[in-house]
Amino acid sequence: MLEMRHIRKSFYGVKVLDDVSINLYPGETLALLGENGAGKSTLIKILNGDYSRDAGDVILDGVPVHFAEPRDAEGAGIRMIYQELHYAPELSVTENLLLGRLPHRQGVLGWMIDWNAAREQAREALKLLNVNIDPMTKMRDLSVVEREIIEIVKALSRKARIIVMDEPTAALTPPEVQQLFGIIRDLCKQGIGIIYISHRLDEVFQIAQRVTVLRDGKHVDTRPIAEMTHKALVHMMVGRDIEERAEVRKGTAAIQLGDRLLEVQGLGKTGAFEDISFQVRAGEIVALFGLLGAGHNILTQTIFGVEKADSGSVHIGGHPVQVASPQDAKRAGIGFVPLDRKVNGLVLGMSVRKNITLSNWTTLAPFGIFRPKKEMHNTRNWVDKLGIRMAGGIETHTRYLSGGNQQKVVLARWLEANVRVLLLNEPTWGVDVGARSDIYDQLEALAAQGLAILIVSSDIEEVLTVSHRILTIYKGHLTGEFMQSEATQEKLLHAAAGGTL
Amino acid sequence: MKSARNRSLAEIASLVVILTLIVLFFSQASPIFLTQRNLDNTLLDITTVGILAVFTTMLMIGGGLDLSVGSTVALCGVVIGALQGTWGILPAAAFAVAIGALVGLANGFLVTYIGINPLITTLGMLSIARGLAFVFADGLTIPVFDSDGTQFDAYNTFTQFGEGQMFGIATPVFIMFVLFILGLLILQFTSYGRAMYAIGGNAQASQLAGLSVRRYRMIAYMLSGLSAGIAAVLLTSRLYAADPRAAPAMELTVITAVVLGGISLAGGKGTLIGTALGVLILTTLLNGMKLLSTSTDAQNIAQGVVLLLAVGLDQLRTRDINWTAWLRGSRLVPNGTKATAKGD
Repeated sequence: MLEMRHIRKSFYGVKVLDDVSINLYPGETLALLGENGAGKSTLIKILNGDYSRDAGDVILDGVPVHFAEPRDAEGAGIRMIYQELHYAPELSVTENLLLGRLPHRQGVLGWMIDWNAAREQAREALKLLNVNIDPMTKMRDLSVVEREIIEIVKALSRKARIIVMDEPTAALTPPEVQQLFGIIRDLCKQGIGIIYISHRLDEVFQIAQRVTVLRDGKHVDTRPIAEMTHKALVHMMVGRDIEERAEVRKGTAAIQLGDRLLEVQGLGKTGAFEDISFQVRAGEIVALFGLLGAGHNILTQTIFGVEKADSGSVHIGGHPVQVASPQDAKRAGIGFVPLDRKVNGLVLGMSVRKNITLSNWTTLAPFGIFRPKKEMHNTRNWVDKLGIRMAGGIETHTRYLSGGNQQKVVLARWLEANVRVLLLNEPTWGVDVGARSDIYDQLEALAAQGLAILIVSSDIEEVLTVSHRILTIYKGHLTGEFMQSEATQEKLLHAAAGGTL
Repeated sequence: MKSARNRSLAEIASLVVILTLIVLFFSQASPIFLTQRNLDNTLLDITTVGILAVFTTMLMIGGGLDLSVGSTVALCGVVIGALQGTWGILPAAAFAVAIGALVGLANGFLVTYIGINPLITTLGMLSIARGLAFVFADGLTIPVFDSDGTQFDAYNTFTQFGEGQMFGIATPVFIMFVLFILGLLILQFTSYGRAMYAIGGNAQASQLAGLSVRRYRMIAYMLSGLSAGIAAVLLTSRLYAADPRAAPAMELTVITAVVLGGISLAGGKGTLIGTALGVLILTTLLNGMKLLSTSTDAQNIAQGVVLLLAVGLDQLRTRDINWTAWLRGSRLVPNGTKATAKGD
């Protein structure tokens, strides 16, 4: 039903897409895979009319089409569902669904909205997907997956035939992912074509029939998913083999554990978590695994002094520390890589150099005056060591770095600050496979140098891959502890969903 | 990807061009404009705005805003006038500078610890400081000179602030230059300067990187108030009087000049070089209009237009607008949906 043939696109002379072709059949889910920068977003933005193409054809039902702007694409039945949804949180589902098309009353009351009819229309629309959501609920009271479903319903009610989903599961819990997949399968049965973009390979295997892989703006291959293996896909995306980390680890089980660097005793915060006790030793990587909202994110924030604990204590290197602010935490030797690097991690309008040295002014700027040579030298050191890649050198603003390299900058900042305990919140969220592997390598190297590392993650593959020991958390309580060698997906999910062992 | 440095160079260059055009225009339009006397006077006139602009620049780079500087200048001046008899003129002047810093600290405290929006906080302070100035001065202009002849030397020293010369330059102008150079060095080479850029760029990330965001902000507001105190001393010394009506709507001139110079209201970017050009452009424009006998009203209108133009251009520069769609009648693309694509 849809074909994009030999698409080319350059920005400022840089080839972003070079002869890329995809096709989509009705009732099919086509996965579009590739690392950040591979050209996926550009491709779908061309499809959606956000960007123009330099060369190539878009053919819809055998007819060449040209979309100058998103409205044209929408008119042709193509809808995008972005990772970050745009909706009016204070308005109801009905209003969001019918935005701009709310039915009006008849006659002299024609200026008034006919709410009964609106509700009825919303209900009809929701029936398209058999979802049980009250049309009068406010958008902000819905869960993330419900909001996505509303977005899909909206697309359907506007006669969409092709739906493009850009990382729709980024913020979903595993059960929600399954709910979404159920909906996607329904859509396919109704003959709708889906282009599904994701970083998570396991999802692609579950939901897609075919997969198209892009790398560096080039079309690598399109294959039925049944012919593919996990490893082969990664190879296609990255262009090289990435070791199966977990297996390597099992071979080299002997890690050197040192003193208890981070010790948390009976930490509690009303409404978030209760009676949390654990320890992380020097040289150890511990993962705290929980589903979204289990309290693990707020726990690390509390240890770092962003939030206040109501009870319990934190010991660093055997000494109790009072951490009332991030400054205290830094002084105590704790570093924190926050969840959303663009919002909480980086000053995007500042250079890589200034971002990396942001937490180490005591050394680099004694008496408040910077020592430029030393700053430069230290920055270069981390850029080399962590393999931070950027187009214009260390004075490039971090805004222009890819997700993986941005994350490395945040990591480098804490290494520059010479911390002993490192807390990381979802360290590879939105980071592509290659950079993810680099980050894991670094974390392992750091642990080997004697750092204590605590990773908070909702990504089970990550947890199983990188940690030595795994704690599970459910509704603010620790529900399990597993050594890496004994942990399995089933056990972890069971414990993280509140099941007792 | 255009490099940020090239862009700011282009901005500076365009400011220089604007300044040149304005100078060319007025030098043709008015025979007095390029005379030594007028230039000297203009430079002296600039000093209050210039000094305030240096510290307003730092504050605004850090994401702050201070509307109270003009009234604080008046308040500090009145403090000198009111205390000159009992305390002696020099202690009174020193105390006035301290009062300026105190007003700044109060602003800083209200903004950072109580969490009142900077605009509202300093708008309130604008009213309070001006009101206090009138109260302390009984609504009158206080003459500041050695009325009973007992403090001859002290007044002589005080007068030097406004009328003296240092290295062949009028003292207020010299002090302005020193503060400007100091500001440049601070922004470029000190952790305080770096903190302003970091906090203005992303306060939350700065906090999570372990910076004492509140402390830095307090300092920035304090320095803004302090600069008002210094400006008040120079002004009072120069005019031999403290007027509660002094520096009327000065905050408007300062902020217009600073924004014109490329400091974003959102914070995080801009340089003092830009501010210097902004001050020069604005004051040259106003001075030129004065020479052409334009009314004060027209000057006010011109200043307002410049402010809105500068802010408007700043908005357009930072926003990503799909112009084709806009021309075809679609709504503006909200900030970020396109610009922040994940890089591919």
